[in-house]
Amino acid sequence: MTTATSPATAPATLPEPPAGIHVSFPRLLRSEWIKMWSLRSTTWTLAITAVVIVGFVLLVTWGMLDARDVMGDTDPVNPLEAFGAVPYLGPTAVAVLGALVITGEHTTGMIRASFAAAPRRLPVLWAKATVLAVVVFVVTALAVAVAAVLQSLVFGSEGASVDLGEPQVVRALVGNALYVTGIAVLAFGLGVLMRHSAAAITTTLGVLLVLPILFSLIPWKPLQDLTPYLPNVAGSQITLTDEMIEQQASFTGSVVLSAWEGFGVLVAYLVVVLAAGAWLTRRRDA
Amino acid sequence: MIEATNLTKRYGDKLAVDDISFRVEPGKVTGFLGPNGAGKSTTMRMIVGLDRPTAGHVTVNGRPYAEHRSPLTQVGALLEAKAVHTGRSARNHLRALAATHGIPDARVTEVIEMTGLESVAKRRVGGFSLGMGQRLGIAAALLGDPRTLILDEPVNGLDPEGVLWVRTLVKYLASQGRTVFLSSHLMSEMALTADHLIVIGRGRIVAAGPVDEIVARGTRTSVKVVSPQATELAELLSGPEVTVTSDEPGTLVVHGATAPAVGEKAAATGIVLHELTPVQGSLEEAFLSLTQDTVEYHATMAHADAPSTGQEAAR
Repeated sequence: MTTATSPATAPATLPEPPAGIHVSFPRLLRSEWIKMWSLRSTTWTLAITAVVIVGFVLLVTWGMLDARDVMGDTDPVNPLEAFGAVPYLGPTAVAVLGALVITGEHTTGMIRASFAAAPRRLPVLWAKATVLAVVVFVVTALAVAVAAVLQSLVFGSEGASVDLGEPQVVRALVGNALYVTGIAVLAFGLGVLMRHSAAAITTTLGVLLVLPILFSLIPWKPLQDLTPYLPNVAGSQITLTDEMIEQQASFTGSVVLSAWEGFGVLVAYLVVVLAAGAWLTRRRDA
Repeated sequence: MIEATNLTKRYGDKLAVDDISFRVEPGKVTGFLGPNGAGKSTTMRMIVGLDRPTAGHVTVNGRPYAEHRSPLTQVGALLEAKAVHTGRSARNHLRALAATHGIPDARVTEVIEMTGLESVAKRRVGGFSLGMGQRLGIAAALLGDPRTLILDEPVNGLDPEGVLWVRTLVKYLASQGRTVFLSSHLMSEMALTADHLIVIGRGRIVAAGPVDEIVARGTRTSVKVVSPQATELAELLSGPEVTVTSDEPGTLVVHGATAPAVGEKAAATGIVLHELTPVQGSLEEAFLSLTQDTVEYHATMAHADAPSTGQEAAR
């Protein structure tokens, strides 16, 4: 052991730091809010998400009406089905945002400044997750609302207008925002685990896009039985009405989760990923 | 005040910091001097809780860093690698850090002015030069008006004006009673800035104490003598404890004898002296002699050095 000491000199008296200056969770939220909006990637990913949601809902509605006319059908279309594009296309850009919120700090070294300012670390993670979830939820909910209004303005005369007086429809529309938010938080959690932008984004998109295809292609019964419990398959049930879920059950003949069961499964994944991330964050060197 | 006790950090099978204990006192500038890879940055990261010690512990102002309710008012740290998101402007970076503690925006403006970043504060940090990056790091360290400053290689990349500014700043902060802990591998800078030194090599403290004490311990003082009878004088002085060397005719460098002793002997035998000067060793010499055996990355030539490789293998 090597020891180094020196005789203490009488230190000049320093004034105590002002009592109001200290870390608190609301302050960490404010810090994360500043961080989020001071990066260009936030504006870009959110703008892309909003444009994709509004654009595809309108496109799909148009396509549905066109198909009906071509077929010479006179049955009314279900305008809510046009929102089926949201759980497929909405999460891509927010997955990038969710991952970057944390991995961007690791790749640039910013995480050291963040953890030096709040050395307990976990509150930083929770503040990040909260700000991310709220921002993504509000933006997607607004985009869905705008899409619903435009759908009704453009196609309402042809009967393609969602009925906002119907609680099931409202739940499904809000469900779109909930699902997209869930995926953003999933990407964030994977980012916490992996600390690497490309790895976290690729894994999230792999879980969303590749796993369901893989599960359906491999003719092995247990995989088919597990399919309803995949994060996106389960999570996106909340974007459907109970009636649509019943229809789905009659098609597939396999297990179909109800809206809240499905979303609960997605939340369970989030809890597991975030818990693992939190455990590692406390242990790892920054 | 920083107190480290048996602090150890192991990365895989590499021992970066090997059981070191030290104290950094308030009211003076303490230099942390050592070659690259000696463990300076790792030690500093452990102080602010970024790296977990493998063994031992370290406290700042009496508590582990993470237990302070208001860490930024206790410690301001500039760590070696840039700890800044390159996509954010300097001002927003500081605002985000300030927000964690409820530090007002006025203080952000203040540290931007103190560090001379006014003209670039709105630019994205990605385009900053090394010097501007250092200034931003120092600005961040000063945000909380901290009682303790930990600066890892603060003068790296600064222009001479910036170097002088850092030197003046840290001395001023120490004079206010703050603890200043400053690492560098630049001995000349340390000699000018630090009051107290902790010298580290290969993860172990090789010397610690006031700067002049370290210099005295690590170097042998010598006496420069100029004489028309240099050869005669050399023979007279040489002995078991005294060595005499000569780089140019008529000039001697005497080790192991004091200037008065040399003068008296010369006078006794009637030898004429034109110059008699005690030569103080430099911090550079002291540093080299102290860390000679502990340099982690020798120049490539030294890699073939058999004894040192043998030592590695023997561990």
